[in-house]
Parts: sequence; C-alpha cells; structure tokens
Amino acid sequence: MEIDNDVAMQDVTEERLDPTLDEDASAELHDGANSSEGPGASGIADHKASKPLQLDAGNIGQLDQWIEHLGKCQVLSEEDVARLCKMAVDVLQFEENVQPVNVPVTICGDVHGQFHDLMELFKIGGPCPDTNYLFMGDYVDRGYYSVETVSYLVAMKVRYPKRITILRGNHESRQITQVYGFYDECLRKYGSANVWKMFTDLFDYFPITALVDNKVFCLHGGLSPMIETVDQVRELNRIQEVPHEGPMCDLLWSDPDDRGGWGISPRGAGFTFGQDISEQFNHTNDLSLIARAHQLVMEGYAWSHQQNVVTIFSAPNYCYRCGNQAAIMEFDENHNRQFLQYDPSMRPGEPTVSRKTPDYFL
Amino acid sequence: MSDNKMAEKDGRSKKEATSSDSGATDPNGVQNGEDLYPLALLMDELKHDDIGNRVEAMKKLDTIAIALGPQRARDELVPFLTEVAQDDEDEVFAVLAEQLGKFVPFIGGSKFATLLLPALEILASTEETLVRDKAVESLNNVAQELSEDQLFHDFIPLIEHLATADWFSSKVSSCGLFRSVLARVKDDKFRKELLALYLQLVQDETPMVRRAAGKNLPVLIDLLTQNPDLSTSDDWDYISNMFQKIIGDTQDSVKFLAVDVLVSILKFFNKKNDTTHAKDLLRSAIQLITDEAWRVRYMAAERFEDLASQFKSNPQYIDELSGPFLALCEDNESDVRKGVAKQLPGFSKLLGDPQVVLKKVLPAVQNLSMDESELVRASLASEITNLAPLIPKQDAIDSLIPILLNMLKDEYPDVRLNIIAKLKVVNEVVGIDLLSESLLPAITELAKDVNWRVRMAIIDYIPLLAEQLGVEFFDQQLGDLCLSWLWDTVYSIRSAAVVNLKNLTKIFGSDWSSEKIISRLLKSDSQLLENFVYRITLLSALTELVPVVSAEVTTQKILPFINHLADDAVPNIRFNVAQSYVVVLESLRADKDKYKELINRSILSSLEKLREDSDIDVRYFANRSLERCQALLA
Repeated sequence: MEIDNDVAMQDVTEERLDPTLDEDASAELHDGANSSEGPGASGIADHKASKPLQLDAGNIGQLDQWIEHLGKCQVLSEEDVARLCKMAVDVLQFEENVQPVNVPVTICGDVHGQFHDLMELFKIGGPCPDTNYLFMGDYVDRGYYSVETVSYLVAMKVRYPKRITILRGNHESRQITQVYGFYDECLRKYGSANVWKMFTDLFDYFPITALVDNKVFCLHGGLSPMIETVDQVRELNRIQEVPHEGPMCDLLWSDPDDRGGWGISPRGAGFTFGQDISEQFNHTNDLSLIARAHQLVMEGYAWSHQQNVVTIFSAPNYCYRCGNQAAIMEFDENHNRQFLQYDPSMRPGEPTVSRKTPDYFL
Repeated sequence: MSDNKMAEKDGRSKKEATSSDSGATDPNGVQNGEDLYPLALLMDELKHDDIGNRVEAMKKLDTIAIALGPQRARDELVPFLTEVAQDDEDEVFAVLAEQLGKFVPFIGGSKFATLLLPALEILASTEETLVRDKAVESLNNVAQELSEDQLFHDFIPLIEHLATADWFSSKVSSCGLFRSVLARVKDDKFRKELLALYLQLVQDETPMVRRAAGKNLPVLIDLLTQNPDLSTSDDWDYISNMFQKIIGDTQDSVKFLAVDVLVSILKFFNKKNDTTHAKDLLRSAIQLITDEAWRVRYMAAERFEDLASQFKSNPQYIDELSGPFLALCEDNESDVRKGVAKQLPGFSKLLGDPQVVLKKVLPAVQNLSMDESELVRASLASEITNLAPLIPKQDAIDSLIPILLNMLKDEYPDVRLNIIAKLKVVNEVVGIDLLSESLLPAITELAKDVNWRVRMAIIDYIPLLAEQLGVEFFDQQLGDLCLSWLWDTVYSIRSAAVVNLKNLTKIFGSDWSSEKIISRLLKSDSQLLENFVYRITLLSALTELVPVVSAEVTTQKILPFINHLADDAVPNIRFNVAQSYVVVLESLRADKDKYKELINRSILSSLEKLREDSDIDVRYFANRSLERCQALLA
C-alpha cells in the first residue's frame, strides 16, 4: 500500500520515486497563488496580540455557535473563517515548539478531511472537552471535507485551548495542499483562494511537537539527524512554511524503518531512522515512547522499534478505498495505554449497497 | 460572499425606490435608472464565467422578483428568464426550473400564472432528467393556481404539445403533467381526449416514454378513485387498454410497472363495489406473479400483500393466490425471495385459517429462515414475529419458536437484531418465561459483539425487554450485563449504558435503583477508580440518575460522591462536577427550604471554590453553574 507516500514538493515536479494515489500530482502548481502573494497575504496575523487570547462571554457564544454549525459539516462563511483564524493566531503563537500536554489524553493520527470519520472518532473516544485530545497533524487533503475538518478542529482549539492540542503535519503546508486537494476544495467551496490563504498562514503557528507528561514525545513524522535533544526542538523558529530540508522538515516528514541508522527517505523529504536512533533518543531525553502518525497502518496503529515508537493513523478506509481500520490511543494518568480501533462511520445520504459484488468480479 | 453583497445591495436599492416614491416629486420614480439595478445585477451575474456564480444568482431569483415588483417581474424578468432557459447549462436550468414553480405570487398571482409556462415548457424538454423533473414539478405547482379556463387554453395545449413532440424527453415530461388536469376536467369528451393521448404515450416506440407513462398511470387511476363518479365506462376502456399494453410490453422494465397499475385498478373497483371484473383481474395478477421475467416477479412479491388484499372479499380468490405465493417463496432469484419474505404475515392474515397457515406457510418460513442469502433471512426476520398471533399458542411454541431461536443464532447480525426488535408480539402469545429462557443466550452473545453498533442496538432494546420481563427476572439475568456496559471501551456504548440505567430506573423505581444500581456503583473497586474514564463515567451515570430518584437518594448517596470528586486531580472531572451540581439543585429545588443548609454548605460553597480553580475550563463551568443555581434559587 504505497498510497501514503506523499512526495515532497521539490520532487513533485522532478522525479517520482514512488507510485502514489495522485498520479496527476505532478500537474502544474498554482504559481499565481504563490508568487504574487506569499505567506502572510491573508492578513490574519497582521494584528497579533501580545498575550494569549482571553475568551469573554461574547466570543465564547460565537465559538459555540460555530462549533455547532461545523459539527453538522457545514462550512463557515469566509468572514467567519477570517475571524476564527485571527483568534487562533493569538492562541497558537503562544504555544511552544514542544507543547507540554497533561494526562489523561487521547492521541490521534491523520484525519485527512474525512469529517464524518472524525465525528466517529469522537463517538469512540468521547466528546471534547470532556475528553482531552492531541492530534498529530494532517487534517487536510485527500478527503472531501478538509475545510470542515480543519475549521472544526481550529474552532475547538480556540474554544478549549487546554483540552485539545493540534500539531502540524506535513500536509499543513502551502505547497502540499496545492497538490493534494485542500487548495481546490477551498476554491470550490468559497470561489476564491482566500480561505486557503488564511488557513495556510495559520498553519505556520501550529506547534510541531508535544510532550505528554514529560514521557511521550508526539509529532507528525519522526526524528531528525540534526536533533538529539528535545531542547534543540525548542530552539527552532517554527513560524514559517515547512522547509524543504532541515530539522523542522524532518520532524514532519521522517519515518521509522527496520534498518538501523539514518536512511534516505523515498518520500524525498525527511529521513528514515532505525531502532538504534529511537532508543538513543528516548534514553537521552528520558522518554518512554515516541508517538507519531504520517503512515497508513492497516490496524490503525502499529508498534515499531520494540515499542520505542508507535504509529497512529485515524483515517479509516483512507481515501475511501484502502480498507484500513483507524485507531486512537488513550493514555491515562497512570501512563496506561489503550488503543481503540474503529471503522468508517455510516455516512448519511449514501446508499447502502444491497447487492454484493458477484464472485466473478473478484 | 457575493450573495450577501448582492442581497445587501438589493436591500439598499429597495429603500431608495421607496424613498423616491415618498418624495412624490417624480411619479415615475420607480422607472428611473437607479431601480434597474437588481435586474442589471442579475443579468451581470448570469453572464459570469463561473457556473457557480450563475447558479448562486439564480437561487436569489425570488429576492430580485420581490425587488422589481409584480409588474416589472412580468414585463422584464419573465421574458428574460425565458431567454435564459434556452441558453445556459443544466446546473443553472435546474435552479431556474425549481424557482419558477414558486413564482406565481411574485408576478401578481394566478391571473398571470400562464406567463410562466413558456419557460417551463422549454425546461421540460431538455435532455437532462434532473432539469426536466424539476420543471414538471414546477408546472404541476403552477397548474394548481390555474383556473379551469386557463387549464383549457394554456395548460392542456402545453401537455399536447409535449406529448406529441419529436424527441422522447418532452414526451417523458408530458406523462407527469396529466395528474394536474385529469380530475379537474369535468367534460367527458375532453377527458376522453386526454386519455386517448395518454394511450399513445403508453404505446410509444421508445421504452423511456412507455416507462414514464406506466409509472404515472397509477397516480391517474388513483385520482379517478378519489372522484369515483367522474369517470365513464369509455374512460375505463382506455385504461383497460393501457393496462393490457403495459402487461404485454416486451421490456421487463415497463412490464413490471403493471403491478402497481393493477393495484390501482383494483382499488377503484373495490371502491365502486364492482366485482364484475374481479375474475379477469385475478388472472392478470397471477400472470404477473408467475411472469418469466424476475423483475416482474420481484415487483409482484414486493407488493404482494397490497395486491392480495384487494381480493379479500372473496376467500376463493385468496386461496387461488396461495399457490403462486408459495412459488415466490421458492423463487430462484434471491431478490424475489427477499421481497416476498416480508409479506408472509400479511398474506397469512388474509388466508385467515390458522390450519392453512400452519400447513402451507410455516414450511415456507422454515425454508426461508435457512435461505442462503443473508438479505433474505434479514428480510424474513423483520416481519416473521407477526406470525405468532395468527396460529394457536401451542403450535407457535412447537413450530415457530424453534425457527426464531435458530434465527437468533444467525451469523449475520441484522437477522438477529430484526428478530429481537420485534419480540414483543411473540411474548404476548407464548409468555415471557418460555421466551426469555431461550432468548437470553442470544442477547448475551449480541451484547459482546465486536461491532459496537450491534452492542448499541441491544442496549436500546433493554428497557423494552425489562418491561416485558419484570424486575425479578431482570435482576437475576440482565442486571450485571447492564452495569458491565458502563465499562465498555467505546464512549458511545458507555453513554448509552448511562441512559439505559436512567430508563430502567423510570421503569423499576427509585428504591430499586438505589439498591441495585447506585449502591453497586458506589462500591466500585478503588483500583478501577484510579482510571479517569471510570470516574467520569460513574459521575455521568450518577448525575443522569438524579432526576429519576428520590431526593433522599440524591442527597444521601449521589451528592457525597459528587462532592468527593470536586477536588479530583483531573480538571475534566472537576468541570463535570460543576455541571452536575446544577442537575442536583434542579431536583432539590422543590424542597429547597428543607435542603437549604445542604445546598449552601455543599453545592454553593463547592462551586465557589471551583470558581477559583487553576484551570480555565473549570472556572468557566463553575461560573456558569453558579449563575444557573442562583437563578434556580431566586
């Protein structure tokens, strides 16, 4: 199943290392959106506050109303997205590169615009804010409801900043979203790229890693040869587009591998890292586990490196065709881990197939 | 976005129009250039390159029409739209077709309604089905508003025009329009002409038209049934002719429509108490049921009860139908068996004689319950329990119950669930003891199914079962199960388990709940309580029970537990405690003098403390709860 191998941008137009779902990914980029107006063009970060957003009765009412609206899988108006993103900047800019997270918390992997499956996730794990959540990136692209999904999660983040943590994934990027669907979805649903600009400007402020009770290091991709300690992550300047190389890129792009040491990633960005690397990193930083997402795993979760690393993937039947289960990991006050697996939600309005595919088609 | 802006500008131009009116300096103020704005804007938007904009503009048509007023809507907007209807894309047409159906009030009422017909006629002739369907629906809406005179002069010619067009799409649309006129034409000659035209459509050379004609015919016949004295025997010669054409059609997809036509015809004659044609129609029914095309048999199977019940005045006829019915139960096609499996109790009821049901129907049930297709078994399961009241009790126990028990063990969960969902009727016949004895193993197994939605379905069914079983039996057999769901790994199951406890308490009462549920919950293993999920579930279960137990149970058992959690280490517990206090206070409010001290000492003081919590969400919910509590006490 090579479907998950996104290809980093510099390679998209050059050489394809792996067959992927999006065979047309090498199509021309929407350069217009890039060259004429770069990062920050949306203006959502033009008037940043000097201290974290304080919610009052007025904006709590507004947020609760947006959350209810988004919960029905309906998009916000462009003006409301602008207001939401401005508020979100004033929450996220004060979070750390290594955002501390308390237990108990439920840790989740890629969602990829599968909004109904995100609602299923909450049915399995419990509603937020009663349950605390940590999402490890990749909210947009590939699924049909990236706008609703990312709007919902950002609205929850602004409303309950202590109850939900949203990290940045490699898809939370201007370049990748132009190839894998979010840009086109914004154009289709809003008639312009404005909403895409706002969200991609906001993505620059997302924290890139989290540390659960000082023991579990959570991030989207994996380790970087340029990072030996968690403190080194704290020193990065994360407020920027995901770079093509370097430590920040690696954290969002790398994958664990059966081979030891560092290897070249077939994705064209990040590295592969072996068990020796994971063990050393966990030992150096007094960690019990690295939790990451980024790769499709058929059971929804997969251990590697002798339980030094766990991969969690929360998009069931990924791309509506992979047939995989999804999973989330509950991590309680006593550091017990429990994985909950689930299948795609039943989607309203879609016909249930009564006739099975005849055997001779298989 | 552009919508909002447009609406805003409309609003403004409306205001300007009225202000120039009231200025009274220029009596023709309404005609000035300023006010052309809405229409110009619409035209601009409709020329937009992006189809999305054009569709959005079309959706705002009603706003524009209101802004223009009836006179200008008639003179300018409608002609413009008639042009648009010939030159755009299907997405835009679909919206236009829908809008025009609601347009009569905007152009000055029914007097002018016929002005809308030309545009709709064009749309009803397009190739895209979606557009045509919307246009037909709108034409029928407009027809409601038309006077008899308008129908004759404008609407019927439109139908004739469409029905005799060269291209099939117009003819298909015409089939859907007869319903608006048939019963309103009091003149026998005119009605006969209409039916003659319809007969042509029934015999059209293209199957698409014949299919549309066949599909719409039952509606037309039902209209005649609603006006039983309207139609003449000439009319019925035509209808009979149409039915013969449909039942003899070479295409299965046309022929199977004859089943619904036949049901409608039978309903008409039953309403007239006219049995002269019954024998012929029975022959036709049997012909359809035994047709060699499976699609036709499938339709007959799906409609069997409806069809057969039209013959119920004559037991002889019902008897004649039983052979073909049983043949459908053994049909080669699983879809046919699936259709007929749902009809078993309905037809058995028509058969009337319990012995006949036992001898003839039950063996068929037995076979279908072991059908190779799970869809057939699930379909049977959804209705089979209704057979219980139709046979003697002892036979139900000896013959039907074993079949049900087997189906409860079916490997396909839908089969099991369908049986369980309808057990009440079996219970009424054979009694709860016998039923529960055989039922419990099946329930326990489903309660542990790996699919959480199956577990959920069982929980939903528990209160119903509890009512039927009675408290003693319930405590022995199902009490533990109901508590165990609280510790399910899936949140939705835990949450359903909590609601289930509330429903059970409503059935068995506060004392029962206090003894069998609350006491046991409070004795939960202290090790379990180290886990956050257990604590929050317990809190939510006890809170949910507050409104349905006595104030005594609330104050003595539940409130101390809530207080105990008020300084829990996890903020999520603390802000749920804050919310629970409101529920407690609501239930104590009636006796607030009696519990005044308790309310002040534990609820309010605890909330005051939570207001100063280190966590922002705890502070938020504590403040909100305190406000609500004070409002309740005021």
